[in-house]
Amino acid sequence: MTPPSDATGGTRIPQVAFRSAPSLAGPVFEVGSLSVFYGDHEAVRDVNMTIGHRQITAMIGPSGCGKSTVLRCFNRMNDLVPSARVAGKVHYHNEDLYGRDVDPIEVRRRIGMVFQKPNPFPKSIYDNIAYGPRVGGFQGNLDDLVEETLTHAALWDEVKDKLKTSALALSGGQQQRLCIARTIAVKPEVILMDEPCSALDPIATAKIEDLMTHLAREFTIIVVTHNMQQAARVSDRTAFFTADVDDAGVRHGRLVEYDETERIFSNPSDQRTEDYISGRFG
Amino acid sequence: MSSTLSSRRAASGSPGFLKRSQPRYGEKVIKVLLVAASLVSVLTTIGIVIALIPPAGEFFSKVDFGEFLTGTNWAPLFKPASFGVLPLVGGTLMVTLIALLVAVPLGLGAAVYLSEYANKRVRKIFKPLLEVLAGIPTVVYGFFALKAITPVLQSIWPAGDGPQIFNALAAGFVMGIMIIPTIASLAEDSMSAVPRALRDGAFALGSSRMQVSTRVVFPAALSGIVAAVVLGISRALGETMIVAIAAGGQPNLSFNPLEGMQTMTAFIAAAGIGDLPTGSTGYQTIFAVGALLFVMTLVMNLLSIRLVRKYREVYE
Repeated sequence: MTPPSDATGGTRIPQVAFRSAPSLAGPVFEVGSLSVFYGDHEAVRDVNMTIGHRQITAMIGPSGCGKSTVLRCFNRMNDLVPSARVAGKVHYHNEDLYGRDVDPIEVRRRIGMVFQKPNPFPKSIYDNIAYGPRVGGFQGNLDDLVEETLTHAALWDEVKDKLKTSALALSGGQQQRLCIARTIAVKPEVILMDEPCSALDPIATAKIEDLMTHLAREFTIIVVTHNMQQAARVSDRTAFFTADVDDAGVRHGRLVEYDETERIFSNPSDQRTEDYISGRFG
Repeated sequence: MSSTLSSRRAASGSPGFLKRSQPRYGEKVIKVLLVAASLVSVLTTIGIVIALIPPAGEFFSKVDFGEFLTGTNWAPLFKPASFGVLPLVGGTLMVTLIALLVAVPLGLGAAVYLSEYANKRVRKIFKPLLEVLAGIPTVVYGFFALKAITPVLQSIWPAGDGPQIFNALAAGFVMGIMIIPTIASLAEDSMSAVPRALRDGAFALGSSRMQVSTRVVFPAALSGIVAAVVLGISRALGETMIVAIAAGGQPNLSFNPLEGMQTMTAFIAAAGIGDLPTGSTGYQTIFAVGALLFVMTLVMNLLSIRLVRKYREVYE
């Protein structure tokens, strides 16, 4: 059951391997037989998928299908939920993300996350960007980093004259782009996005999607979305999840189909995927 | 649909199908009761101020205000009487300072632990326990200071004379223990109210739990935390029983916490239960000292409000 890479990746030289630059060849994540439990309840069952380097992977599916839960496995955010337990394989560049010696803080510096509702800190725009580098012990010039990051996130021109004002004075769309900027300020390799546009209007959504496409040149992006057009527009690969009820009557999330986005939306191999994307259910 | 409704209305001749509004007397009664409830505390405060002013005013017609504020000898009942309030103010500030040195770090530490570190079960047991500490009568704390803390301090004191039988240190220390729950409980409330989304955001950027607590939660909860500390200071300034029992009854202007000293509250209590004739200058000193204590608390509250306005981080 346990793949051979588990033994070599997880325990042998995790710290060294983690601090070195991850190799660009090969997949970023390999997920095998992943299940997530909340207490005794198995919320997600037997997920298998591989996430490619500098690709945008979309995770779609009806509410309660476990896509956000799976997303939170990639940066160990589930660790913060006391009753949550993760079983199965989540490998990051062939290394067990849940290995005994792996520091979740280090994991989250490499794998950033943007949330459903914009959640800027109630601090200035500048301090929001500088937060991550500061807690990470950044030694260089913060002013330069802030400018570079905001430029990168296509937000600089809008905020350069009010860096010291509260981030909460920004519009919802700007706040969300600030949260994306805040994430890339730490220079992660992967950005996880949990329904990043669900609280935004169409224009703000379009801006975020542009930004995602732009950022995909440098970052690997995994995005959970309820918006199928969004998945079709921005992603390279799409994973369709659904909620299943097993023989014992337990409701749990399943990965139904995972393929090139084009194929998922034009010629899905599973009837349930087709029903969902054509709007027949969910 | 709408046409049938309007035609029916027209046919019946009534103003419509909605029930006509009727006065709700119960609502009004409740409103009056609620206003009365909030007025009680406001009126009490106003009443106290009004009661303080005439005797205090009479006092200051006999005693020079400058002499009162700057004099270093408090002997209102002696002949010749001396009305320098500084020894009492000094005693109050000394004991309060010691109490805060104990209560602020321990209280905020407990709040951070309960809000950010403890799991639900621990919090459920700890918080009520902590609040029990706030319910212990202060006279118990006073004797605890006098009969337990002072002897311990005296026996462990490394060099010199050590604390006197009545001393500010033991009183302040125990007073600090007393106000820990006030500070911890209120600060914990305001830290727990910080949205989880902010913590998640900070964790997702690779913060440790300590960084989340000190750099995100603490500043976001600052106004509540300052309010907690201010309430703690108010309790310390106003606390009477502990200092009356453990800090002694001698006005003493000194920076040495090992000595006994009388606080403003302890003086008011001692003079108030004595047999000073109403209207005498000695009797009026009670009100003068009370008014000063009132002003000190008021100024501190105003200062803290300004401080909070300046530094707080408002989250939605």
